[in-house]
Amino acid sequence: MWTTVLVSGITLGCFYTLIAMGFALIFGVTHIFNLAHGELLVLAGYVAYWLWKTLGLSFVYTFPAAILAALLVCLVLQRLFSLLSEPLELNSIVVSFGVAILLQNGMLFFFSGDYRLIRIPALSHGLHLQPFYLSYAQLTLLVLSLLVIMILYLLMRHTYMGKALRATIQDKEAAALAGINVGAMGILAFAIGAVLIGLAGPLYGCIHYLYPTAGLQATLLAITITIFAGIGRIRELILGGWILGLAESFAVVLLGASWREMVSAVMLLLLLAINPQGILGKEER
Amino acid sequence: MRKEAVVSKDLKRVHLVQAALLLSFFLLLLLPVLAGYSDYILQVFTHALLLATLALAWNILGSSGAISLGHAAFFGVGAYGSALLSHDLGFSPWFTIPLGGFLATTVALIVGFLCLRLRGAYFALATLAFVEIPKVITDNWDGLTRGSLGLVGLPGLPTLRLGSYSLDISGSPVGSYYFVLCYALVLVLVVTLIFRSNLGLALQAIREEEIAAQAVGIQVQRYRILSLLVSGFFTGIGGALYAHLIRYVEPGLVYGLHFSAIPMIFAICGGRFTILGPALAALILYPLDQFIFHPLVPAGHEFLYGVIIILTILFMPSGFWGHLRKEQLVSIKTGSIE
Repeated sequence: MWTTVLVSGITLGCFYTLIAMGFALIFGVTHIFNLAHGELLVLAGYVAYWLWKTLGLSFVYTFPAAILAALLVCLVLQRLFSLLSEPLELNSIVVSFGVAILLQNGMLFFFSGDYRLIRIPALSHGLHLQPFYLSYAQLTLLVLSLLVIMILYLLMRHTYMGKALRATIQDKEAAALAGINVGAMGILAFAIGAVLIGLAGPLYGCIHYLYPTAGLQATLLAITITIFAGIGRIRELILGGWILGLAESFAVVLLGASWREMVSAVMLLLLLAINPQGILGKEER
Repeated sequence: MRKEAVVSKDLKRVHLVQAALLLSFFLLLLLPVLAGYSDYILQVFTHALLLATLALAWNILGSSGAISLGHAAFFGVGAYGSALLSHDLGFSPWFTIPLGGFLATTVALIVGFLCLRLRGAYFALATLAFVEIPKVITDNWDGLTRGSLGLVGLPGLPTLRLGSYSLDISGSPVGSYYFVLCYALVLVLVVTLIFRSNLGLALQAIREEEIAAQAVGIQVQRYRILSLLVSGFFTGIGGALYAHLIRYVEPGLVYGLHFSAIPMIFAICGGRFTILGPALAALILYPLDQFIFHPLVPAGHEFLYGVIIILTILFMPSGFWGHLRKEQLVSIKTGSIE
C-alpha cells in the first residue's frame, strides 16, 4: 500500500512540476506574480472538456485547442502587465487577482458552476505491477509530464532562446547589454508559460474536478514550488514538485482526502517563515 | 487676483464635496422611507453597509501599505466563533459577537507571528494561503462545526425596546439596516480616531518609507502587528454580525473569496489612504453590482469587481476618493504658497 502511495505521490509531483514551470518561468523573466495561473489552467481544462464532450473530439486533439486558448489569454495578460508601474511584484499580484476573479466569473458564465471531469474509459484501467498499482491515467500523467519537463530542460540548456531566457532571469541589465531583447524575452516567457498551461490543463481535467473556483489550489501549489526552488532552476522545481506531491498523497492517506487542500498552503507559509525574503532573497545570498 | 480665484474655486469644490457627503448621509438615514420599505432594496444596502465596514476594517491594515488577500480568515473565524458560542452554549449574541471579534484577533496574532517579517508581495501571498487553514479545519472538524453542511437556525439579534418604541433587528429588514448603519458610523468614527492617533501617523510613515520610519524611532513591527490585530478584530465583528443577521454559516460562504476579495477591492478602489474612500466605494459599487449587473448577468456578475480592481491599479492607484482629496490638498497648498 505504501508503495502505491509513493508512486501516486511521485506521479502527482511530476505533474505539479509541469504546472509550476510556467509560473516560475514567467516570474523569473518578468518578476510578475501571476495569481491567475490556476484559473488559466482550469480554463484550458474547460476548453478540452467542452471539445471532448460536446464535439466528441478525441482527447489527444484537445491539446492544441487548449494551448491556443491559453496563448491567447496569456498574450493579452502580457500586454496588461506591461502597463503596470512600480512596485511591480505587489501591483502584479493585485491586478492578476482581479484577472483571476474575471476569469472565474467568465467560466461560471460559459461553463456553469457544475463539477466536470474528463472521463476517458481507456485510462480508467491500470497495471497491477507486483508491489503497486499504476493506472493508465497516472502513467499518462507521468510520461507526458516528464517528457515536457525534459524538452523544456533541453531547450533552456542547449538553444540560443533558452540561454537568452536564462540570461534574462539571472540579470536583466547585463542581458540587455549583451544584446538580448529583454522585452521580447518577457513575451516569450508568457508564450512558453501558455504552452505549458495548455498541455497541463486537459490533464488536470482528467484527475481533478473542474469548477470555476478550482484554480486557487493550482495557483498556490505553483507558488509554493517556485518559492521552494528559486527561479531558473528546473531540477529544484522537480524536487519541489515531488515533495509537494508526496506530502499531499500521504496527507490523503493519513488524514483524509479533505485535508489535501491545506498541504500546499501550510508548506507555503512554512517556506515564507523560513525565508522571509522570498525568491529573490535566496538568489542574492 | 488670479491666485485668489484659484483658491476660492478649490474651496468651492471642497464645499461641494462636503455638501455631497452630507446629502448622502441624509439619504442613507432616510433610505427605508425613500425605498418604500422594499425588502430587496434594504437587504442590498444592508449588505453594502456590512461590506463597507469590512472595507474600513481592511483599510486599518491597508493604510500601512500592506495588502491582505486573506481577510476572510478573520471574517470566518468571527462568524463561526459567535455562531457556535450562541448556538451551542446558548449565550446572548450581544455577548458572543465581541467574543467572535476576539477570536478573530487571536487568529490575527497567529498571522502576525507567521508573516510579520514578510513584505509587500510575500505578505499578500502568505495571507492568501493562510485562509485555507481555518477553512479546511472548519470543514473537517465535524464534531464542533458540523463540517461543510454549515450551521442553520442561529439566534438572531433580539428586539431592542425603548419605552413604547421597539426595533426588531434580525427580524425586519428595516431593523437590520439601521443596526448595520449604526455600526458602520461607529466604525467610521473609530477609523478616524485611529488615523489621527499615533498609530495612524506611524502607519502613514511606514507606508511612505519604512526604513526612514525606523530611523526616526518608530517601532515598525509593533505598529504593523497592532494594525493587523485591530483590523482582524473589526473584521471578526463583521463576520459575527453577518452570522446573526442571516442566521446561517457555512465554510464555503464565510471563508469564501467574496469576503477576502471584495473588501480589499473596495478599499483600494475608494482610496487606501483615506478614511471614507473604502466605505463610499462599497456603497456605490455593491448596489451597482446588485441592481444593474446581477439582473443582466445572473451567473458571473462579479466579473465587475475584477474589472474595477484592474482599472483602479492601472489608472487611479490612489483610489477615486484619494484622487479627489489629493488634488484638492495639492492645489490649495500651491495656491497659498505661491
